[in-house]
Amino acid sequence: MNAAREGGSCRSCAHFHNDPKYLEAAFPGWTALGSAYGSTRAEDGICELHGLYLSAAQGCDRHEAKNCAPT
Amino acid sequence: MAATQVPIQAGPGSQQDKMGWKELYLKEDWWAIWLGVGIVLVAWLFFVNGSSIKWIAVTPGKWSNFGQLAADFGAHIGQYFAQFVFWLAIFCVSVRVMGHKLGEFIPSFIFVYIASIVIFMIGAWDQASYYNLEPPLVALAFGLLLSNFVGLPKWMDTGFRVEYYVKTGIVLLGATLPFTLIVWAGPVAIAQASIVSIVTFLVIYFTGKKLGLDRRLCATLGAGGAVCGVSASIAVAGAVGAKKEDAPVAITMVIIWAIVMIFALPLASRLMGLSTGVAGAWIGTSEFADAAGFAAAQAYGNLAGQVQGIPGKPEDAVQTFTLMKVVGRDVWIGIWAFIMAIIATTRWEVQTGKKPDAAEIWWRFPKFVIGFAITSLFLTVVAAQYSRADFNKIVNPVLVAPIKDLRTWAFIFCFFSIGLTTRFRELAHAGTKPFWAFTTGVAVNVVLGYVLSVVVFGAYWSGIGR
Repeated sequence: MNAAREGGSCRSCAHFHNDPKYLEAAFPGWTALGSAYGSTRAEDGICELHGLYLSAAQGCDRHEAKNCAPT
Repeated sequence: MAATQVPIQAGPGSQQDKMGWKELYLKEDWWAIWLGVGIVLVAWLFFVNGSSIKWIAVTPGKWSNFGQLAADFGAHIGQYFAQFVFWLAIFCVSVRVMGHKLGEFIPSFIFVYIASIVIFMIGAWDQASYYNLEPPLVALAFGLLLSNFVGLPKWMDTGFRVEYYVKTGIVLLGATLPFTLIVWAGPVAIAQASIVSIVTFLVIYFTGKKLGLDRRLCATLGAGGAVCGVSASIAVAGAVGAKKEDAPVAITMVIIWAIVMIFALPLASRLMGLSTGVAGAWIGTSEFADAAGFAAAQAYGNLAGQVQGIPGKPEDAVQTFTLMKVVGRDVWIGIWAFIMAIIATTRWEVQTGKKPDAAEIWWRFPKFVIGFAITSLFLTVVAAQYSRADFNKIVNPVLVAPIKDLRTWAFIFCFFSIGLTTRFRELAHAGTKPFWAFTTGVAVNVVLGYVLSVVVFGAYWSGIGR
Protein backbone atom coordinates (compact mmCIF):
# COMPACT_ATOMS: atom_id res chain seq x y z
CA MET A 1 0.00 0.00 0.00
CA ASN A 2 2.94 2.31 0.43
CA ALA A 3 3.51 2.17 -3.26
CA ALA A 4 -0.04 3.28 -3.77
CA ARG A 5 0.51 6.35 -1.65
CA GLU A 6 3.75 7.04 -3.50
CA GLY A 7 1.95 6.65 -6.83
CA GLY A 8 4.30 4.17 -8.55
CA SER A 9 4.14 3.50 -12.28
CA CYS A 10 1.89 0.92 -13.89
CA ARG A 11 5.02 -1.13 -14.62
CA SER A 12 5.30 -2.06 -10.94
CA CYS A 13 1.56 -2.27 -10.24
CA ALA A 14 -0.27 -5.49 -9.42
CA HIS A 15 -3.24 -4.40 -11.56
CA PHE A 16 -1.05 -3.99 -14.65
CA HIS A 17 -0.35 -6.97 -16.92
CA ASN A 18 2.03 -6.72 -19.86
CA ASP A 19 3.31 -10.26 -20.22
CA PRO A 20 3.09 -10.89 -23.98
CA LYS A 21 1.46 -14.30 -23.53
CA TYR A 22 -1.21 -12.76 -21.28
CA LEU A 23 -1.85 -9.96 -23.77
CA GLU A 24 -2.15 -12.27 -26.78
CA ALA A 25 -4.71 -14.32 -24.87
CA ALA A 26 -6.60 -11.17 -23.83
CA PHE A 27 -6.78 -9.69 -27.35
CA PRO A 28 -8.24 -12.34 -29.69
CA GLY A 29 -6.82 -12.23 -33.18
CA TRP A 30 -3.68 -10.32 -32.28
CA THR A 31 -1.37 -13.15 -33.38
CA ALA A 32 -3.03 -13.47 -36.80
CA LEU A 33 -1.42 -10.30 -38.13
CA GLY A 34 0.62 -9.05 -35.21
CA SER A 35 2.47 -10.03 -32.09
CA ALA A 36 2.78 -8.95 -28.48
CA TYR A 37 6.47 -9.84 -28.74
CA GLY A 38 7.12 -7.04 -31.26
CA SER A 39 8.96 -3.79 -30.62
CA THR A 40 6.02 -1.56 -31.51
CA ARG A 41 4.13 -2.60 -28.36
CA ALA A 42 6.98 -1.26 -26.22
CA GLU A 43 5.92 -2.19 -22.66
CA ASP A 44 2.22 -1.40 -22.93
CA GLY A 45 -0.20 -3.56 -21.02
CA ILE A 46 -3.65 -3.89 -19.53
CA CYS A 47 -4.76 -2.20 -16.32
CA GLU A 48 -7.41 -4.59 -15.05
CA LEU A 49 -8.51 -2.08 -12.43
CA HIS A 50 -9.45 0.69 -14.85
CA GLY A 51 -10.06 -1.54 -17.88
CA LEU A 52 -7.52 0.32 -19.97
CA TYR A 53 -4.71 -0.62 -22.33
CA LEU A 54 -1.90 1.83 -21.66
CA SER A 55 1.78 2.58 -21.36
CA ALA A 56 3.80 1.04 -18.52
CA ALA A 57 5.05 4.52 -17.67
CA GLN A 58 1.58 5.67 -16.62
CA GLY A 59 0.43 5.63 -13.04
CA CYS A 60 -2.43 6.55 -10.73
CA ASP A 61 -3.22 6.86 -7.04
CA ARG A 62 -4.71 3.35 -7.01
CA HIS A 63 -1.29 1.81 -7.51
CA GLU A 64 -0.67 -1.50 -5.73
CA ALA A 65 2.86 -2.81 -5.62
CA LYS A 66 3.21 -6.16 -7.39
CA ASN A 67 4.21 -7.94 -4.18
CA CYS A 68 1.00 -6.74 -2.45
CA ALA A 69 -2.40 -8.28 -3.05
CA PRO A 70 -4.61 -5.94 -5.04
CA THR A 71 -7.60 -4.59 -3.18
CA MET B 1 -14.97 3.19 -16.04
CA ALA B 2 -14.80 5.48 -19.06
CA ALA B 3 -11.32 6.17 -20.32
CA THR B 4 -11.68 9.91 -20.08
CA GLN B 5 -12.59 9.77 -16.39
CA VAL B 6 -9.49 7.98 -15.15
CA PRO B 7 -6.90 10.32 -13.64
CA ILE B 8 -3.88 8.71 -15.26
CA GLN B 9 -0.58 10.43 -14.72
CA ALA B 10 3.10 9.71 -15.19
CA GLY B 11 4.34 7.66 -12.26
CA PRO B 12 7.55 8.61 -10.45
CA GLY B 13 8.67 5.01 -10.57
CA SER B 14 8.42 4.88 -14.33
CA GLN B 15 12.18 4.69 -14.76
CA GLN B 16 12.42 1.54 -12.64
CA ASP B 17 12.66 -1.97 -14.06
CA LYS B 18 12.33 -0.86 -17.65
CA MET B 19 12.81 -3.44 -20.33
CA GLY B 20 15.28 -1.09 -22.06
CA TRP B 21 17.96 -2.96 -23.95
CA LYS B 22 16.73 -6.30 -22.68
CA GLU B 23 14.59 -6.09 -25.79
CA LEU B 24 17.70 -7.20 -27.68
CA TYR B 25 16.81 -10.74 -26.65
CA LEU B 26 13.19 -10.42 -25.51
CA LYS B 27 11.63 -8.92 -28.65
CA GLU B 28 11.17 -10.84 -31.86
CA ASP B 29 12.19 -7.82 -33.95
CA TRP B 30 15.74 -8.19 -32.69
CA TRP B 31 15.71 -11.94 -33.08
CA ALA B 32 14.62 -11.47 -36.70
CA ILE B 33 17.70 -9.28 -37.13
CA TRP B 34 20.03 -11.80 -35.48
CA LEU B 35 18.67 -14.64 -37.62
CA GLY B 36 18.40 -12.72 -40.90
CA VAL B 37 21.75 -10.95 -40.68
CA GLY B 38 23.35 -14.16 -39.40
CA ILE B 39 22.08 -16.15 -42.39
CA VAL B 40 23.33 -13.48 -44.81
CA LEU B 41 26.77 -13.40 -43.16
CA VAL B 42 27.07 -17.20 -43.21
CA ALA B 43 25.99 -17.21 -46.86
CA TRP B 44 28.65 -14.62 -47.64
CA LEU B 45 31.35 -16.58 -45.77
CA PHE B 46 30.50 -19.68 -47.80
CA PHE B 47 30.55 -17.56 -50.95
CA VAL B 48 33.99 -15.99 -50.39
CA ASN B 49 35.38 -19.45 -49.64
CA GLY B 50 34.19 -20.75 -52.98
CA SER B 51 31.08 -22.51 -51.71
CA SER B 52 27.39 -21.74 -51.23
CA ILE B 53 24.48 -22.36 -48.86
CA LYS B 54 22.28 -23.35 -51.80
CA TRP B 55 22.45 -27.02 -50.77
CA ILE B 56 20.40 -26.27 -47.67
CA ALA B 57 18.18 -23.66 -49.37
CA VAL B 58 16.46 -26.40 -51.34
CA THR B 59 13.07 -25.77 -52.96
CA PRO B 60 10.85 -28.05 -55.08
CA GLY B 61 11.65 -28.02 -58.78
CA LYS B 62 9.04 -27.44 -61.48
CA TRP B 63 6.98 -30.55 -62.20
CA SER B 64 4.19 -31.59 -64.52
CA ASN B 65 3.34 -35.07 -63.20
CA PHE B 66 3.53 -36.89 -59.88
CA GLY B 67 6.40 -39.05 -61.07
CA GLN B 68 8.58 -35.99 -61.54
CA LEU B 69 7.48 -34.58 -58.20
CA ALA B 70 8.28 -37.81 -56.34
CA ALA B 71 11.64 -38.17 -58.07
CA ASP B 72 12.62 -34.60 -57.25
CA PHE B 73 11.60 -34.93 -53.62
CA GLY B 74 13.34 -38.29 -53.25
CA ALA B 75 16.55 -36.88 -54.69
CA HIS B 76 16.58 -34.01 -52.21
CA ILE B 77 15.03 -35.52 -49.11
CA GLY B 78 18.28 -35.23 -47.17
CA GLN B 79 18.48 -31.53 -47.98
CA TYR B 80 14.89 -30.97 -46.82
CA PHE B 81 15.67 -32.73 -43.56
CA ALA B 82 18.82 -30.64 -43.06
CA GLN B 83 16.89 -27.48 -43.79
CA PHE B 84 14.17 -28.47 -41.34
CA VAL B 85 16.77 -29.05 -38.63
CA PHE B 86 18.34 -25.69 -39.46
CA TRP B 87 15.06 -23.76 -39.13
CA LEU B 88 14.03 -25.71 -36.05
CA ALA B 89 17.35 -25.07 -34.30
CA ILE B 90 17.47 -21.33 -34.88
CA PHE B 91 13.81 -20.81 -34.05
CA CYS B 92 13.97 -23.02 -30.95
CA VAL B 93 16.78 -20.99 -29.42
CA SER B 94 15.00 -17.70 -30.02
CA VAL B 95 11.47 -18.68 -29.01
CA ARG B 96 12.78 -20.33 -25.85
CA VAL B 97 14.63 -17.15 -24.83
CA MET B 98 11.47 -15.14 -25.50
CA GLY B 99 9.57 -17.41 -23.11
CA HIS B 100 7.72 -19.89 -25.31
CA LYS B 101 7.51 -23.59 -24.45
CA LEU B 102 9.59 -25.80 -26.73
CA GLY B 103 7.24 -28.68 -25.97
CA GLU B 104 4.58 -26.69 -27.80
CA PHE B 105 6.74 -25.03 -30.45
CA ILE B 106 8.53 -28.12 -31.78
CA PRO B 107 5.50 -30.28 -32.74
CA SER B 108 3.75 -27.19 -34.05
CA PHE B 109 6.69 -26.19 -36.24
CA ILE B 110 7.04 -29.75 -37.56
CA PHE B 111 3.44 -29.43 -38.74
CA VAL B 112 4.12 -26.00 -40.29
CA TYR B 113 7.22 -27.22 -42.12
CA ILE B 114 5.62 -30.35 -43.57
CA ALA B 115 2.60 -28.36 -44.74
CA SER B 116 4.92 -25.72 -46.22
CA ILE B 117 6.68 -28.37 -48.32
CA VAL B 118 3.31 -29.44 -49.71
CA ILE B 119 2.30 -25.81 -50.38
CA PHE B 120 5.65 -25.14 -52.08
CA MET B 121 5.18 -28.27 -54.22
CA ILE B 122 1.71 -27.14 -55.31
CA GLY B 123 3.20 -23.81 -56.37
CA ALA B 124 5.89 -25.60 -58.39
CA TRP B 125 3.29 -27.40 -60.52
CA ASP B 126 3.52 -26.11 -64.08
CA GLN B 127 -0.26 -25.55 -64.15
CA ALA B 128 -0.40 -23.76 -60.79
CA SER B 129 -0.77 -20.25 -62.22
CA TYR B 130 -3.52 -21.42 -64.58
CA TYR B 131 -5.55 -22.57 -61.57
CA ASN B 132 -4.56 -19.57 -59.39
CA LEU B 133 -2.69 -21.91 -57.03
CA GLU B 134 -0.11 -19.34 -55.96
CA PRO B 135 1.70 -20.55 -52.81
CA PRO B 136 0.79 -17.50 -50.68
CA LEU B 137 -2.90 -17.87 -51.47
CA VAL B 138 -2.84 -21.66 -51.11
CA ALA B 139 -1.07 -21.34 -47.75
CA LEU B 140 -3.59 -18.79 -46.52
CA ALA B 141 -6.65 -20.68 -47.76
CA PHE B 142 -5.38 -24.01 -46.41
CA GLY B 143 -4.66 -22.43 -43.02
CA LEU B 144 -8.08 -20.74 -42.90
CA LEU B 145 -9.83 -24.01 -43.72
CA LEU B 146 -7.95 -25.88 -41.01
CA SER B 147 -8.46 -23.28 -38.30
CA ASN B 148 -12.11 -22.51 -39.02
CA PHE B 149 -13.53 -25.85 -40.13
CA VAL B 150 -11.27 -28.50 -38.61
CA GLY B 151 -9.76 -26.82 -35.59
CA LEU B 152 -6.31 -27.29 -34.13
CA PRO B 153 -5.31 -27.30 -30.44
CA LYS B 154 -4.75 -23.79 -29.11
CA TRP B 155 -1.29 -24.68 -27.80
CA MET B 156 -0.13 -25.11 -31.39
CA ASP B 157 -0.33 -21.32 -31.83
CA THR B 158 3.13 -21.28 -30.23
CA GLY B 159 4.52 -22.37 -33.59
CA PHE B 160 2.28 -20.15 -35.72
CA ARG B 161 4.33 -16.98 -35.20
CA VAL B 162 3.14 -14.90 -38.18
CA GLU B 163 5.03 -11.74 -37.27
CA TYR B 164 8.26 -13.48 -36.36
CA TYR B 165 8.36 -15.34 -39.66
CA VAL B 166 7.52 -12.29 -41.76
CA LYS B 167 10.09 -10.12 -39.97
CA THR B 168 12.77 -12.76 -40.54
CA GLY B 169 11.72 -12.90 -44.19
CA ILE B 170 11.89 -9.11 -44.51
CA VAL B 171 15.44 -9.01 -43.10
CA LEU B 172 16.42 -11.67 -45.67
CA LEU B 173 14.58 -9.70 -48.33
CA GLY B 174 16.96 -6.79 -47.71
CA ALA B 175 19.75 -8.88 -49.24
CA THR B 176 17.85 -8.98 -52.53
CA LEU B 177 16.93 -5.29 -52.63
CA PRO B 178 19.76 -2.89 -53.60
CA PHE B 179 20.32 -0.21 -50.98
CA THR B 180 20.62 2.33 -53.77
CA LEU B 181 17.02 1.51 -54.73
CA ILE B 182 15.86 2.19 -51.18
CA VAL B 183 17.66 5.55 -51.16
CA TRP B 184 16.37 6.42 -54.63
CA ALA B 185 12.75 5.33 -54.21
CA GLY B 186 12.40 5.91 -50.48
CA PRO B 187 11.39 9.59 -50.64
CA VAL B 188 8.65 8.89 -53.21
CA ALA B 189 7.41 5.96 -51.13
CA ILE B 190 7.37 8.08 -47.99
CA ALA B 191 5.56 10.94 -49.75
CA GLN B 192 2.92 8.64 -51.24
CA ALA B 193 2.47 6.68 -48.03
CA SER B 194 2.22 9.85 -45.95
CA ILE B 195 -0.56 11.28 -48.13
CA VAL B 196 -2.58 8.07 -47.95
CA SER B 197 -1.89 7.46 -44.26
CA ILE B 198 -2.90 10.93 -43.12
CA VAL B 199 -6.04 11.03 -45.28
CA THR B 200 -7.10 7.51 -44.24
CA PHE B 201 -6.52 8.20 -40.56
CA LEU B 202 -8.52 11.43 -40.66
CA VAL B 203 -11.38 9.80 -42.59
CA ILE B 204 -11.67 6.93 -40.10
CA TYR B 205 -11.23 9.17 -37.08
CA PHE B 206 -13.82 11.76 -38.04
CA THR B 207 -16.27 9.21 -39.43
CA GLY B 208 -16.03 7.40 -36.11
CA LYS B 209 -16.52 10.64 -34.20
CA LYS B 210 -19.50 11.50 -36.38
CA LEU B 211 -20.99 8.10 -35.56
CA GLY B 212 -20.55 8.80 -31.85
CA LEU B 213 -17.56 6.55 -31.10
CA ASP B 214 -15.10 7.34 -28.32
CA ARG B 215 -12.13 9.28 -29.70
CA ARG B 216 -9.66 6.70 -28.36
CA LEU B 217 -11.40 3.98 -30.32
CA CYS B 218 -11.46 6.29 -33.36
CA ALA B 219 -7.70 6.81 -33.07
CA THR B 220 -7.08 3.08 -32.59
CA LEU B 221 -9.17 2.24 -35.66
CA GLY B 222 -7.58 5.05 -37.67
CA ALA B 223 -4.05 3.85 -36.99
CA GLY B 224 -5.02 0.31 -38.00
CA GLY B 225 -6.30 1.48 -41.36
CA ALA B 226 -3.67 4.10 -42.03
CA VAL B 227 -0.31 2.98 -40.74
CA CYS B 228 0.49 -0.60 -40.04
CA GLY B 229 -2.57 -2.70 -39.25
CA VAL B 230 -2.71 -4.56 -35.96
CA SER B 231 0.67 -3.31 -34.72
CA ALA B 232 -0.23 0.34 -35.25
CA SER B 233 -3.68 -0.08 -33.72
CA ILE B 234 -2.23 -1.55 -30.57
CA ALA B 235 0.66 0.93 -30.39
CA VAL B 236 -1.75 3.87 -30.64
CA ALA B 237 -4.21 2.22 -28.24
CA GLY B 238 -1.41 2.08 -25.66
CA ALA B 239 -0.26 5.61 -26.42
CA VAL B 240 -3.71 7.13 -25.90
CA GLY B 241 -4.74 4.83 -23.04
CA ALA B 242 -7.64 3.23 -24.90
CA LYS B 243 -10.29 1.09 -23.27
CA LYS B 244 -9.30 -2.54 -22.98
CA GLU B 245 -12.01 -3.57 -25.45
CA ASP B 246 -10.98 -1.03 -28.13
CA ALA B 247 -7.91 -2.86 -29.43
CA PRO B 248 -9.75 -6.15 -30.13
CA VAL B 249 -12.36 -4.22 -32.14
CA ALA B 250 -9.60 -2.69 -34.27
CA ILE B 251 -7.90 -6.09 -34.61
CA THR B 252 -11.14 -7.59 -35.93
CA MET B 253 -11.55 -4.84 -38.51
CA VAL B 254 -7.94 -5.04 -39.67
CA ILE B 255 -8.02 -8.83 -40.02
CA ILE B 256 -11.28 -8.92 -41.96
CA TRP B 257 -10.22 -6.26 -44.44
CA ALA B 258 -6.63 -7.49 -44.71
CA ILE B 259 -7.85 -10.99 -45.63
CA VAL B 260 -10.28 -9.53 -48.18
CA MET B 261 -7.50 -7.41 -49.71
CA ILE B 262 -5.09 -10.35 -50.00
CA PHE B 263 -7.43 -11.74 -52.64
CA ALA B 264 -9.06 -8.53 -53.93
CA LEU B 265 -6.00 -6.39 -54.73
CA PRO B 266 -4.16 -9.01 -56.83
CA LEU B 267 -7.43 -9.86 -58.58
CA ALA B 268 -8.18 -6.21 -59.38
CA SER B 269 -4.58 -5.69 -60.52
CA ARG B 270 -4.84 -8.72 -62.79
CA LEU B 271 -8.10 -7.55 -64.31
CA MET B 272 -6.54 -4.17 -65.05
CA GLY B 273 -3.29 -5.71 -66.30
CA LEU B 274 -1.15 -3.65 -63.94
CA SER B 275 2.59 -4.17 -64.05
CA THR B 276 4.07 -6.00 -61.08
CA GLY B 277 5.85 -2.86 -59.88
CA VAL B 278 2.69 -0.76 -59.93
CA ALA B 279 0.56 -3.47 -58.33
CA GLY B 280 3.15 -3.91 -55.56
CA ALA B 281 3.07 -0.19 -54.83
CA TRP B 282 -0.73 -0.20 -54.71
CA ILE B 283 -0.77 -3.20 -52.41
CA GLY B 284 1.86 -1.53 -50.23
CA THR B 285 -0.29 1.57 -50.00
CA SER B 286 -3.65 -0.09 -49.44
CA GLU B 287 -3.02 -3.35 -47.56
CA PHE B 288 -3.23 -3.17 -43.79
CA ALA B 289 -0.53 -5.50 -42.52
CA ASP B 290 2.94 -6.55 -43.64
CA ALA B 291 2.23 -10.28 -43.63
CA ALA B 292 -1.02 -9.91 -45.57
CA GLY B 293 0.57 -7.51 -48.03
CA PHE B 294 3.50 -9.78 -48.75
CA ALA B 295 1.05 -12.60 -49.48
CA ALA B 296 -0.79 -10.41 -51.99
CA ALA B 297 2.36 -8.94 -53.57
CA GLN B 298 4.13 -12.28 -53.89
CA ALA B 299 1.02 -13.93 -55.31
CA TYR B 300 0.72 -11.22 -57.98
CA GLY B 301 4.43 -11.17 -58.74
CA ASN B 302 4.38 -14.92 -59.33
CA LEU B 303 1.89 -14.37 -62.16
CA ALA B 304 4.40 -12.38 -64.22
CA GLY B 305 5.79 -14.56 -66.94
CA GLN B 306 3.13 -17.19 -66.24
CA VAL B 307 0.02 -15.27 -67.25
CA GLN B 308 -0.23 -13.13 -70.36
CA GLY B 309 -0.86 -9.40 -69.97
CA ILE B 310 1.03 -8.86 -66.72
CA PRO B 311 4.16 -6.83 -67.45
CA GLY B 312 7.18 -6.58 -65.18
CA LYS B 313 9.41 -9.00 -63.30
CA PRO B 314 8.08 -11.23 -60.48
CA GLU B 315 10.40 -9.62 -57.95
CA ASP B 316 9.18 -6.07 -58.74
CA ALA B 317 5.88 -6.58 -56.88
CA VAL B 318 7.58 -7.57 -53.64
CA GLN B 319 10.19 -4.83 -54.01
CA THR B 320 7.76 -1.96 -54.58
CA PHE B 321 5.47 -3.36 -51.89
CA THR B 322 8.37 -3.35 -49.45
CA LEU B 323 9.35 0.19 -50.35
CA MET B 324 5.80 1.43 -49.84
CA LYS B 325 4.85 -0.57 -46.76
CA VAL B 326 8.07 -1.04 -44.81
CA VAL B 327 9.95 2.13 -45.78
CA GLY B 328 6.95 4.36 -46.46
CA ARG B 329 4.60 3.35 -43.63
CA ASP B 330 5.98 1.01 -40.97
CA VAL B 331 8.93 3.13 -39.84
CA TRP B 332 6.62 5.97 -38.77
CA ILE B 333 4.64 3.93 -36.27
CA GLY B 334 6.51 5.35 -33.26
CA ILE B 335 5.97 8.90 -34.44
CA TRP B 336 2.24 8.29 -34.92
CA ALA B 337 2.03 6.85 -31.41
CA PHE B 338 4.01 9.76 -29.96
CA ILE B 339 1.86 12.38 -31.70
CA MET B 340 -1.32 10.66 -30.58
CA ALA B 341 0.03 10.47 -27.02
CA ILE B 342 0.68 14.21 -27.09
CA ILE B 343 -2.82 14.91 -28.40
CA ALA B 344 -4.38 12.55 -25.84
CA THR B 345 -2.53 14.13 -22.94
CA THR B 346 -2.62 17.77 -23.92
CA ARG B 347 -6.03 18.05 -25.57
CA TRP B 348 -8.08 15.12 -24.26
CA GLU B 349 -6.85 15.01 -20.65
CA VAL B 350 -5.31 18.41 -20.04
CA GLN B 351 -5.94 18.16 -16.31
CA THR B 352 -3.41 15.36 -15.72
CA GLY B 353 -0.49 17.32 -17.15
CA LYS B 354 1.57 14.23 -17.98
CA LYS B 355 4.13 14.44 -20.75
CA PRO B 356 4.82 11.71 -23.30
CA ASP B 357 8.47 10.72 -23.55
CA ALA B 358 10.02 11.20 -27.01
CA ALA B 359 12.17 8.13 -26.34
CA GLU B 360 9.03 6.09 -27.00
CA ILE B 361 9.55 6.82 -30.71
CA TRP B 362 12.68 4.69 -30.54
CA TRP B 363 11.28 1.98 -28.29
CA ARG B 364 8.27 1.56 -30.59
CA PHE B 365 10.37 1.61 -33.75
CA PRO B 366 9.94 -1.67 -35.70
CA LYS B 367 13.57 -2.73 -35.27
CA PHE B 368 13.47 -5.43 -37.94
CA VAL B 369 13.64 -2.56 -40.45
CA ILE B 370 17.20 -1.97 -39.22
CA GLY B 371 18.07 -5.55 -40.14
CA PHE B 372 16.43 -5.07 -43.54
CA ALA B 373 18.62 -1.98 -44.15
CA ILE B 374 21.78 -3.77 -42.93
CA THR B 375 21.38 -6.77 -45.24
CA SER B 376 20.50 -4.50 -48.15
CA LEU B 377 23.56 -2.31 -47.57
CA PHE B 378 25.83 -5.32 -47.05
CA LEU B 379 24.86 -7.08 -50.26
CA THR B 380 25.00 -3.81 -52.19
CA VAL B 381 28.62 -3.33 -51.07
CA VAL B 382 29.43 -6.95 -51.96
CA ALA B 383 27.79 -6.59 -55.38
CA ALA B 384 29.70 -3.38 -56.07
CA GLN B 385 32.92 -5.45 -56.29
CA TYR B 386 31.65 -7.20 -59.41
CA SER B 387 30.74 -6.22 -62.95
CA ARG B 388 27.08 -6.61 -63.92
CA ALA B 389 27.93 -9.71 -65.96
CA ASP B 390 29.83 -11.32 -63.08
CA PHE B 391 27.06 -10.42 -60.67
CA ASN B 392 24.49 -12.20 -62.82
CA LYS B 393 26.80 -15.16 -63.46
CA ILE B 394 28.41 -15.61 -60.05
CA VAL B 395 26.97 -13.55 -57.18
CA ASN B 396 23.31 -13.93 -57.99
CA PRO B 397 23.08 -17.73 -58.32
CA VAL B 398 25.63 -18.61 -55.64
CA LEU B 399 24.97 -15.98 -52.97
CA VAL B 400 21.70 -14.08 -53.56
CA ALA B 401 19.42 -16.83 -54.91
CA PRO B 402 19.81 -19.17 -51.88
CA ILE B 403 19.05 -16.27 -49.52
CA LYS B 404 15.97 -15.52 -51.62
CA ASP B 405 14.89 -19.17 -51.39
CA LEU B 406 15.22 -19.16 -47.60
CA ARG B 407 13.22 -15.92 -47.55
CA THR B 408 10.48 -17.64 -49.53
CA TRP B 409 10.36 -20.43 -46.95
CA ALA B 410 10.03 -17.90 -44.12
CA PHE B 411 7.19 -16.19 -45.97
CA ILE B 412 5.35 -19.48 -46.54
CA PHE B 413 5.62 -20.27 -42.81
CA CYS B 414 4.10 -16.82 -42.30
CA PHE B 415 1.28 -17.08 -44.84
CA PHE B 416 0.24 -20.50 -43.56
CA SER B 417 0.33 -19.19 -39.99
CA ILE B 418 -1.95 -16.27 -40.90
CA GLY B 419 -4.61 -18.76 -41.92
CA LEU B 420 -4.02 -20.99 -38.92
CA THR B 421 -4.39 -18.13 -36.41
CA THR B 422 -7.34 -16.40 -38.09
CA ARG B 423 -10.30 -17.95 -36.28
CA PHE B 424 -13.24 -15.79 -37.27
CA ARG B 425 -15.53 -17.03 -34.50
CA GLU B 426 -12.97 -15.96 -31.86
CA LEU B 427 -12.63 -12.38 -33.10
CA ALA B 428 -14.21 -9.67 -30.98
CA HIS B 429 -17.61 -8.41 -32.10
CA ALA B 430 -16.86 -5.05 -33.68
CA GLY B 431 -20.32 -3.52 -33.97
CA THR B 432 -21.74 -1.60 -36.90
CA LYS B 433 -20.34 1.85 -36.04
CA PRO B 434 -16.67 0.76 -35.91
CA PHE B 435 -17.31 -1.31 -39.02
CA TRP B 436 -18.59 1.64 -41.02
CA ALA B 437 -15.94 4.02 -39.72
CA PHE B 438 -13.17 1.62 -40.71
CA THR B 439 -14.79 0.58 -43.98
CA THR B 440 -15.16 4.21 -45.07
CA GLY B 441 -11.42 4.57 -44.53
CA VAL B 442 -10.78 1.37 -46.48
CA ALA B 443 -12.74 2.71 -49.47
CA VAL B 444 -10.84 6.00 -49.46
CA ASN B 445 -7.52 4.23 -48.92
CA VAL B 446 -7.99 1.82 -51.84
CA VAL B 447 -9.13 4.52 -54.29
CA LEU B 448 -6.46 7.03 -53.25
CA GLY B 449 -3.82 4.27 -53.25
CA TYR B 450 -4.86 3.36 -56.80
CA VAL B 451 -4.77 6.97 -58.03
CA LEU B 452 -1.31 7.60 -56.56
CA SER B 453 0.21 4.22 -57.52
CA VAL B 454 -1.26 3.93 -61.01
CA VAL B 455 -2.13 7.42 -62.24
CA VAL B 456 0.27 9.79 -60.47
CA PHE B 457 3.37 7.62 -59.92
CA GLY B 458 2.55 4.74 -62.30
CA ALA B 459 5.50 5.32 -64.63
CA TYR B 460 7.79 5.59 -61.64
CA TRP B 461 6.71 2.31 -60.02
CA SER B 462 6.54 0.36 -63.28
CA GLY B 463 10.14 1.35 -64.02
CA ILE B 464 11.48 0.42 -60.61
CA GLY B 465 13.00 -2.87 -61.76
CA ARG B 466 15.03 -1.11 -64.42
